[in-house]
Amino acid sequence: MRSRTSASPEIREFAQRLVAYEAAGGSPAGADFPAGVRVAEKLRHPLSRLAGVNGFHMLLVRALTLAKAQVPGLSPVQVKADGSLEGFSDLGNRAEAAGAGVTLIAEMLGLLAAFVGEAFTRSLVLDVWPDFPAFDTEPWRKNES
Amino acid sequence: MTQQDKVKINKLPTGVPGLDEILGGGLPEFSFNIIAGSPGCGKTTMAHQFVFANATPERPALYFTVLGEPALKMLRYQQQYGFFDLSRLNTSVRFINLSQVLVDRGLEGILEEIAKEVEAVNPGIVVVDSFRTVMRKASGNEMEMQVFVQQLGLLLTSWEATTFLIGEYAGSEQPDNPVFTVADGLFWLYQVVEHNSVVRKLHIMKLRGQASVSGMHTFRITDAGMQAFSRTLGLAPRDRKIPAQKRLSIGIPELDEMLGGGIPEGDSLLIAGSSGTGKSLLATQFIAAGLRQGEPGIVAVFEERPEEYEARAGSFGLDLSTPMKQGSLKVIYIRPLDLSVDEAMQEILDAIKETGATRLVIDSLAGFEMALSPGFRSDFRESLYRMIFALTGIGITILSTLEMEESFTELLFSKFSISFLTDDIIRLRYVEIEGQLRKVMMVLKMRGGAHSKDIREYEIASKGVVIGERLTGYDHLITGIPTRVGQSEPKK
Repeated sequence: MRSRTSASPEIREFAQRLVAYEAAGGSPAGADFPAGVRVAEKLRHPLSRLAGVNGFHMLLVRALTLAKAQVPGLSPVQVKADGSLEGFSDLGNRAEAAGAGVTLIAEMLGLLAAFVGEAFTRSLVLDVWPDFPAFDTEPWRKNES
Repeated sequence: MTQQDKVKINKLPTGVPGLDEILGGGLPEFSFNIIAGSPGCGKTTMAHQFVFANATPERPALYFTVLGEPALKMLRYQQQYGFFDLSRLNTSVRFINLSQVLVDRGLEGILEEIAKEVEAVNPGIVVVDSFRTVMRKASGNEMEMQVFVQQLGLLLTSWEATTFLIGEYAGSEQPDNPVFTVADGLFWLYQVVEHNSVVRKLHIMKLRGQASVSGMHTFRITDAGMQAFSRTLGLAPRDRKIPAQKRLSIGIPELDEMLGGGIPEGDSLLIAGSSGTGKSLLATQFIAAGLRQGEPGIVAVFEERPEEYEARAGSFGLDLSTPMKQGSLKVIYIRPLDLSVDEAMQEILDAIKETGATRLVIDSLAGFEMALSPGFRSDFRESLYRMIFALTGIGITILSTLEMEESFTELLFSKFSISFLTDDIIRLRYVEIEGQLRKVMMVLKMRGGAHSKDIREYEIASKGVVIGERLTGYDHLITGIPTRVGQSEPKK
């Protein structure tokens, strides 16, 4: 049995593009938060609607655990009961926060893809960011054996 | 009130092959239905098939999940089925989890949320899965439960939604349950382990507004999803046919003569005999004779594969390969074990429809019975009777073979209650004559009229069965150990 320990490079690249896309189109209201946090926040509503508040909370906690293993600087970050994130403002600098955000989103998308498949995960992303070229990137599973 | 004055109830396709027919044409539009049964019996799969068969972007399906199976896992598993179309998610099919609403706000909150979503998207279909977990919130308060179900039913019907509530209910919970009282349709799914086989059955316990097929129907879940098999096999009972005028050749002129001119069209003929007496060969000659006359045929084999059957026919100079390629003959190999009788029969019926067959061979009845899951063997005779009666009623001529244990003291018949299943019977048997094991055949019964009373010797030759003269000079031939009378030698 294989254990998924981190998102594949393809998912990470996808997450990087998604976070950059969000950063480029960021609203002034969310400008204080790293784009990765805004992506997680935007996914919170549709995913809570789909899987339940508790379901989304569990998913994000698992994604954060996996991300913390790669970015120890994420340790102050926590998931609140409603599935929102707190503690990102405690991260050292903006560059570190941006990288950590990408890692977290990559892990979340990776978990989702593992559960419900890549196509469904990409379509979920498209529901939130209809103009994001979600299907222009490489398949996520191409390196999986 | 005339037929024209009555409101027309549209029937929606269920998306489950065979189920529309059981329901009398489909599911009544705007009906409020319950799918009940134990965990793992296929309730969620059935609801998903209905959803994907009917949801459109204009009238989407709202699939509410409440506690029970986690939504992500449900999607993970359901998308493995062939009917699940990922591209329709969030446009035609929308999943909404209400677990937290139930925990925080109870039944009132559930009703409010469903109402809000329904008003927002105007769904054509609403599913609540699992409804049982919702009702547990009102456990012990029957009035609260009744009011909730009534309000939910009213809401969804007012919004012209066809609804499925899915719940894990045990059979003992049927009486007096207020949920069942309100429902227009009640579908009960069963999954029973019998010997080493799992038997799945469906019962339409209630369906308002239209007649459904009563009784328990077998269903199977495969990669394609759920498939149901009506216990009537879609064959309406018919009055016994008018005696046929046309006689079909069995492919051996002497045997046709013994049968009074051939097999009456639309009859069910049984050829019974022990191993090696040539039952399958006679059946193949019957099919080949039909093909020569331009009559398509079906052969259902249980004890050998189609290619073996085809090769064996070829060794007797009977070409089955050409008609098989041309589509006028289909040899069906019914895979052994774990099969429901209705599934097997459905396969035969599908082949008949596909080829337009007028001749059917079932080789053999014992093999057919053995191919079934042990749990279905008790239903075998009844189901076989239904199929034979219905098929012969539409003019299909059936030849079945049956292997018999040979007794050398009496002429045995089988446990299959032959008289119910057959119009005509040919019995093949071994007899011991002068130190040789020879073969004789006799026509025991022709419902359609007179037949030969002769007991005739026959041989299996390179071109098939060759029938000789009547065996004279012996008594007690049917016991298998005749005694010589007079001095005359049996003619060959």
